[in-house]
Amino acid sequence: MVAFSAGLFDLPRLVGPDEDVLASIPQVGIRWGAGSPGGHSCAHPEVAMSAETVIEVHGLTKSFGRFQALRGVDLAVGRGTVHGFLGPNGAGKSTTIRVLLGLLRGDEGSVRVLGADPWADVVALHRRLAYVPGDVSLWPGMTGGEAIDLLGTLRGGLDEARRAELVERFELDPTKRGRQYSKGNRQKVAIVAALASNVELLILDEPTSGLDPLMERVFQEVIGEAKANGASVLLSSHIMAEVESLADRLSIIRDGRIVQEGTLAELRGQTRTTIHAELSVVPPGEVLVGLHDVHVDGSRLRATVDSLRIGEAMAALTPLGITSLTVEPPSLESLFLRLYDEDAADPGTGR
Amino acid sequence: MSTALAGVRGGGPMTGTAPLLRASFRHDGRMFAPWILIATALSASSMIYPYIFNTEQERQAFAAAIGANPAIGLIFGPAFDLTTTDGFNAWRSLALGGFLAALGAILMLTRATRAQEDSGQAELLASGVMGRSARLASAVAMCLVAELLLGLCAWLVTIALGGGAANTALLAATMTATGWMFTGIAAVTAQIGSEARTSNSLAVGALGTLFLARGVAYSLDAPAWMIWLNPLAWMTETKPNYQNTWWPLLLAVALTVALLAAASALQARREFGAGAIAPKPGPARGADRSTWRLAVRINKGMMITWAVAFAVIGVVFGYMATSVIDIFADNPTVQTILAAGATSSEDLVSAFLVTLLSLVGILAAIPGVQTLVKVRSEEMADRVEPIMATSSSRPRYYASHTILALLAPSLYLLIAGTLIASLASSADIGVRFGDALLQAVATIPAAWTVVAVSVAVVGARPLVTLAAWVGVLASFGLTLLGHTFNLPDWALAISPYWHIPNVAATNPDWTGLGWISLATLGLLAIGFTGFRRRDLAV
Repeated sequence: MVAFSAGLFDLPRLVGPDEDVLASIPQVGIRWGAGSPGGHSCAHPEVAMSAETVIEVHGLTKSFGRFQALRGVDLAVGRGTVHGFLGPNGAGKSTTIRVLLGLLRGDEGSVRVLGADPWADVVALHRRLAYVPGDVSLWPGMTGGEAIDLLGTLRGGLDEARRAELVERFELDPTKRGRQYSKGNRQKVAIVAALASNVELLILDEPTSGLDPLMERVFQEVIGEAKANGASVLLSSHIMAEVESLADRLSIIRDGRIVQEGTLAELRGQTRTTIHAELSVVPPGEVLVGLHDVHVDGSRLRATVDSLRIGEAMAALTPLGITSLTVEPPSLESLFLRLYDEDAADPGTGR
Repeated sequence: MSTALAGVRGGGPMTGTAPLLRASFRHDGRMFAPWILIATALSASSMIYPYIFNTEQERQAFAAAIGANPAIGLIFGPAFDLTTTDGFNAWRSLALGGFLAALGAILMLTRATRAQEDSGQAELLASGVMGRSARLASAVAMCLVAELLLGLCAWLVTIALGGGAANTALLAATMTATGWMFTGIAAVTAQIGSEARTSNSLAVGALGTLFLARGVAYSLDAPAWMIWLNPLAWMTETKPNYQNTWWPLLLAVALTVALLAAASALQARREFGAGAIAPKPGPARGADRSTWRLAVRINKGMMITWAVAFAVIGVVFGYMATSVIDIFADNPTVQTILAAGATSSEDLVSAFLVTLLSLVGILAAIPGVQTLVKVRSEEMADRVEPIMATSSSRPRYYASHTILALLAPSLYLLIAGTLIASLASSADIGVRFGDALLQAVATIPAAWTVVAVSVAVVGARPLVTLAAWVGVLASFGLTLLGHTFNLPDWALAISPYWHIPNVAATNPDWTGLGWISLATLGLLAIGFTGFRRRDLAV
């Protein structure tokens, strides 16, 4: 966490000032942080130390018939971190997660979860992790409460107090039957079932699909608490805002390959900030060095600037008399959209 | 359903029926093809009768064998005339062909209405430009047309192979008519049940009850009202090739129209996704906390229904067993055989019991296979995934369902066997309670083999889940139809039920049960290895 605050863009601190808990997982910031002495700015999974990674995937491939779902996925999730796993629909997020859970067997590559082989060591491994699928399907005649108890007990036990608290916070009616629940409520059942047992690793596959904004906030709080208690989280999503507020690191998958990997700050560093400025002087050409995509309309200027060079841009613009200024921070969305554009521009990588 | 189509342009409740019907035919229509194939094959295969039984004596001997075993009559109904090929076909295909047509109609109609509603596809459709009745109308139209095709196909192929055009036309018409009546019944049950499974169970339950009632009515020379209250018996009353009575078909059409009108009225009154039976809130805490309890839980409703069904079957079959001597007495051919000393009355009775209990055994394997097929449907509904993400292992999960699938048929055989044994031993037909019950117990390993086939299929080759039913189909076909083909022993021996010894015989041969149990173990091993190794939910 230390490393992030040193960067340009601070992360929203959901965890709160619980420094004792953070101190108990000291390696996180140092190893993954962008500005740390020994850290690579783009740490490749190979240099990751296995004692501190809860998920390690190298060169994972998986085909269904002739369709190649995964074409060499590399993924490393550090202990005690929230790792965002982003990608468009059909990119391979769920397939990767199913391999991590031992539901599918990878064709090639190596996969370690909590230091074990997810295919061979299923039972022991699954006692230590919990999973929330993106599309929860409940038994039609079974109530939500019964489903929570069944899944929790099968995992190896429920924390009763935690269960009651979560049912309360998510405003879940546990007496309804599976077929009566809406999508969001089915999702809540799965979230409560997963979080009511104290596990080391949470694997969440688009867990908030169907939740309303209020419940999404509760979910973010709850994940923050789990992290504060030392849990590691793999959070797959295609919702940028969710990942931006929760994740320490991100992997972006497209067409069965990881195309970007790094901390939020690093990935944002690769995007540009958009500036809208109204100037009292019509900007002369030479000022615009360092600005990209410049559009000048009279005294109005729109341009993008490398996120790490905003200071320089401001210094160049200030003499021109800024009367109004809007700076749009770089979002993952823009990074995401840029990756999409590249995809469209280079059909060779498409399927 | 041309009236339904006429309303399309008006924007009434039927709006959208025509495009929906086209789409349904493309997607669900091919699911009906197997039913057409099986029904056609059943009728067409009768045309080899002259090659198997080519002399008058052989045909009479065959007729005597049929008459001597009332258990066969339970399934096929009465044999009016077995001296001609058309007569043979009428006996062999009428009841079974109608049953297949009805089952196909029920499954297709429920899939196109209720199951769509459960899965949410219907919501997509209902939000489009579509009248409230369009989905039911298009599903009904699809079933009616499909049943018509079934009849036509069976008729054309059979006469092409040498069947009489008029005789076969009536026979094929009874299949279509039965399919239509059960399209109506399924259309009603689809409005009553609150989900697809309930609707299916209600309609299949009605089919099973009427089928059994018809078998008993004809076997026991029941009073006429028992026949005229039963729509399936109307079909038997057409007596194709024997009397060729066409007018009972009109009754079937009238009943179909009445049922469809009722379904349409019910459908107009109920809300989307709801049934007539509203769900109540359930417990907030769960008591079922193991894979075994889960397996029992999700199969409980079905198991109770089947248990009741087997109690009924036990009483009906047992009651029939008590009158088996009277049935023999009424049959002159059997009397001739007995008088000639070729067999004894005791032998006939015990052979009858073996067939009767084998029949119960084949039926008892069906719920077992259903339990395994449910494992696959749970998997495809993404309900196995969260279980497998907990610390329960795959073998444990599969074992829970497999054990249930093996226990259930055993229980059903014991229920029906005890009832048959106590009723049969109470009558003066020379059957001891212990022997009859032991005969039921000896049938259990054969039912296990059939269930084990489905364990192997669902475990190792889940993409062909339909193959899970191969065991049931093969046993049914070989045990009941094998003799009509005059098949050699090695072919009949493919059915595990062929290996069941007659425990009342002086030296019953138990080795056959040993062999089929070895096959059971092998199939279980294949299933468990497959389930442990394969990808889930693909």
